[in-house]
Amino acid sequence: MSAPDTLHSQLEAMRPMLVRFAQLQLRNQALAEDAVQDALLAVLEHPDRFAGASTLRTYVTGVLKYKIIDVLRAATRERQLEPDEGQTEDEAIDSLFAADGHTNEMPREWGRPDATLQQKDFFRILEACLEKLPAKTARVFMMREWLELETEEICKELAISSSNAWVLLYRARMRLRECLDLNWFGK
Amino acid sequence: MDKLKPTCREVHRLVSEGMDRDLSLVERTRMRLHLVVCDACTRFSGQMDLLRKAMRGFPTDDTK
Repeated sequence: MSAPDTLHSQLEAMRPMLVRFAQLQLRNQALAEDAVQDALLAVLEHPDRFAGASTLRTYVTGVLKYKIIDVLRAATRERQLEPDEGQTEDEAIDSLFAADGHTNEMPREWGRPDATLQQKDFFRILEACLEKLPAKTARVFMMREWLELETEEICKELAISSSNAWVLLYRARMRLRECLDLNWFGK
Repeated sequence: MDKLKPTCREVHRLVSEGMDRDLSLVERTRMRLHLVVCDACTRFSGQMDLLRKAMRGFPTDDTK
């Protein structure tokens, strides 16, 4: 038996961080807090399921991801059509390429990935870059790369075509690449 | 678009889409042949891998 009090306080310490991530995905504070609450309760109700197979953080994050997917599914009915963020986004990508289709600038060397991924500040900057993405682009990107959903599922949940999803994912990656390049690798 | 030689613009897009769907044999071949000779796209491709790895590592231990 694990000590419930300790687990409880460990989970509470994680709450702000979990809410931030739920918020990045859901873009709605109340929904984000509810999803985190559900996830924490689920973990507290069955502490035995977390049998040290992973770190507590990894385990709770996994539970939270399932809760968020539930919220996204439940929210399908109420979803409003968002304005198309397309035009300015495409212009931003256009500006990276010359008329002949070559890159205008050589992408900077980013150094060793393993070393980068061990630095906390890198993740803080990545998080800030995610916050700056347009809402719809961010939602699709987070669904794909954070919740690790397949494109078909994302299309179904958001009622968009697969080519639309690929375009949004491409824009998100281009934007994040620029943002990281400027704010992390360019420092 | 030159039918034989893909541009960086096309290859950037293929690198990204290849993370979300299976590319056709033709697309894969075009992309790979281009990557062999293009440092810019090769770097871009590596950066996309890093981005994916980073997203799957979220959230990190920053609960301080």
